[in-house]
Amino acid sequence: MSAPATRQTRPRRSWTLVTGCVLAGLIVAVGLLSLAWVPYAPDDTSGGRLMPPGLPHLLGTDKLGRDLLTQLMIGARIALESGVGAVAIGAVLGVPLGLAAGFASRWLDDLVAALLDILIAFPTLLLAMLVVAARSASLGSAVIAIGLAMTAVVARLTRVLVKRVLTQDYITAARTSGTSWPRVITGHVLPNIWGTLAVNLALQFGLAVLAEASLSFLGLGAPPPNESWGRMLQEAQATVLTAPTGAIAPGVLLVVLVVGVNMIADGLRDTLDPTRRRSR
Amino acid sequence: MRRKTAPLLGGALAVALSLALTACGSGAHANGGSSTSAAGSYDRNATISIGSLYEPQNLDNTAGGGQGVTEALNGNVYEGLFKLTDDGKVQNQLATGYTVSPDGLTYTFTLRSGVKFHSGKPLTSADVKYSIEKVTSATSQAARKSSFAMIKSIATPDVHTVRVTLSSKSISFVYNLSYVWIIDSTAKDLKTTEDGTGPYKLDKWTHGSVLSLVRYAGYWGTPATNGKVVFTYFKDATALNNALLTNAVDVVTSEQSPDALQQFKNNANYRVNDGHSTTKLLLAFNDRVKPFNNTLVRKAVTSAIDNKKLLQSIWGDYGTLIGSMVPPTDPWYEDLTKVNPYDVALAKKELAQAGYAKGFRFTLDTPNYDPHPTAAAFIKSELAKVGITVDINVITPDTWYTKVYQNHDFTATLQEHVNDRDVVWYGNPDFYWGYDNKQVTNWVNQAEQASTTTQQTALLKKVNTQIAEDAASDWLYLYPQIVVASSKLSGYPLNGLNSQFYAYGIKKS
Repeated sequence: MSAPATRQTRPRRSWTLVTGCVLAGLIVAVGLLSLAWVPYAPDDTSGGRLMPPGLPHLLGTDKLGRDLLTQLMIGARIALESGVGAVAIGAVLGVPLGLAAGFASRWLDDLVAALLDILIAFPTLLLAMLVVAARSASLGSAVIAIGLAMTAVVARLTRVLVKRVLTQDYITAARTSGTSWPRVITGHVLPNIWGTLAVNLALQFGLAVLAEASLSFLGLGAPPPNESWGRMLQEAQATVLTAPTGAIAPGVLLVVLVVGVNMIADGLRDTLDPTRRRSR
Repeated sequence: MRRKTAPLLGGALAVALSLALTACGSGAHANGGSSTSAAGSYDRNATISIGSLYEPQNLDNTAGGGQGVTEALNGNVYEGLFKLTDDGKVQNQLATGYTVSPDGLTYTFTLRSGVKFHSGKPLTSADVKYSIEKVTSATSQAARKSSFAMIKSIATPDVHTVRVTLSSKSISFVYNLSYVWIIDSTAKDLKTTEDGTGPYKLDKWTHGSVLSLVRYAGYWGTPATNGKVVFTYFKDATALNNALLTNAVDVVTSEQSPDALQQFKNNANYRVNDGHSTTKLLLAFNDRVKPFNNTLVRKAVTSAIDNKKLLQSIWGDYGTLIGSMVPPTDPWYEDLTKVNPYDVALAKKELAQAGYAKGFRFTLDTPNYDPHPTAAAFIKSELAKVGITVDINVITPDTWYTKVYQNHDFTATLQEHVNDRDVVWYGNPDFYWGYDNKQVTNWVNQAEQASTTTQQTALLKKVNTQIAEDAASDWLYLYPQIVVASSKLSGYPLNGLNSQFYAYGIKKS
């Protein structure tokens, strides 16, 4: 990549990061606000059946007369919780596993790689459904399932990154100068792979939010009454023609959050990826 | 259980559920009054396209085919000795009459002559004996099987006479026979083919999408008023409604949500018909276990839930409140909505009397298809007002069947009960809800042994009132039965009770 070209793209990249932060930040703010204040109690059914947007219910009500805005706000929290939870599981399990595989002897590495390939080939939703079937349907089950599916992706990426770093001359130099393996990992390996990992985890966050919504849509997420956007979409399905707000609102918020997070990932890649940084 | 969503109709489910409740009465109340004909002339060879959510799992009603079997084949392809009319009355069909011995134990049926199966074989008494024994056989999964437990022997003195001897009196015997399809005793592969006597024969069944029937030229009675009937199966209600809007189907057998109706109501090309159903939504307590073994607790919970608001939430202006198990179309119906009125103060008082002034916590096993999750959310919010915490446990229909229906491993559950005349289940202490009142069991048994329907009716009214007073379950509401059809159509069944859908009278202009 030539220097002038990247100089042109640089402002666009940071703009991406800022926009992403604004979009995702909006959802985070709403989610945090819901901890302190919501317009109505979530189980207050006094609103009347399928009221259109207006006053006193800004976005209207659902079938049972519950306030939609309230549900959306709490839904934001559920979406964020499931994203953070799944990414945490994926990172905590996946990164050490990937590191271990990267350092392991050849046959062990091959074994782990084969297992990861099988896991990745397994559709995330199917794996999630199995976990939910084994435990009971709850938000926790859904998050664990999504996190486990994500572990395979994170581990494989970590493994590849570690292998690449280990072939570098500076590692050989560090080893020949007597640096211990733990210090090599903390001092050389992790700093060189964490940028790519962070970008990837951000993308996985978006996927996790969508996966949770899908599971809830299928009735495999948290049991009712809960305010997951996926569940709201499912409930609004039958009334989409007569009361479209119930389906449109959670759909739009899902898009805003996922697009926001993806833009953050995109922006992060620009700032964190050493190869890009070098080319600037 | 009737309104399960199509994607959940797995094999296990089909077997399990049809056995449990769907087929429990796979067909009582024949269709209600047919729609009145607006058009005078009609096309005698028209093809009627019927949209439904309930594809049969197989074509045998003793092999767990699900409610779709009844909908497509009952009365259309197969007929019984008797048929149930629109208002639930029993009429002669393949039998021209019967006599009962003075002790009430021997029934002699005379068969209609000139009846031929679709294969061309004439109907004989041997076929009738075979058909009844098919329902009562050890491998049969027919839900009405237990209703025939009192059959001692079946004799066939000549080709047109069948004599059935019972071990105990059964006033519902003839009524129950209307559920028994008369099948050619030599027919094979009844899961995929048929050999009945009905006005239509099976044309083609494409698994997963379409089942078509054509008029049978050799039919003994009045021929069908259309040439061909095509059942088209959909996986979800929205797709089904869209098919009706685009004229891909002519009629939808039963709408599952009031919200889709607006698009048909204000359109001269369609007619929305509001009929009677026998499908009740129940909050069924496990009456064996704490705290629901206490009548006061059950009464309190019943009074704490605003059923009217729930019905309004789910069905808009459709549906009926019943207050007990018996729907208005059963002969022993009485309005019992006042027995446990919606009254939060009363509920709190009853809870305090029962020793639960501070409420309690229980798990509600909720089938994962509509309307159960919505109803569960509503119940949770209502009971929170009297201090009761509800944990909603969403389960699949096959889990429901094993956990709740078979193993009785539950505290409370939600379930639809589709059949007419099913109040008698409260006389069986081993039924899943475990209601055990010796008096009620006696009344149910006496009603079955009754000599006249007047006696039977009086006894079952007592049963119905007693279970309401004991709040054996909370009967949340009775579903509406909404048939939406193209305005070119007339003569279709309006009530379609117990998921029957007689197609032979449908006229298309």
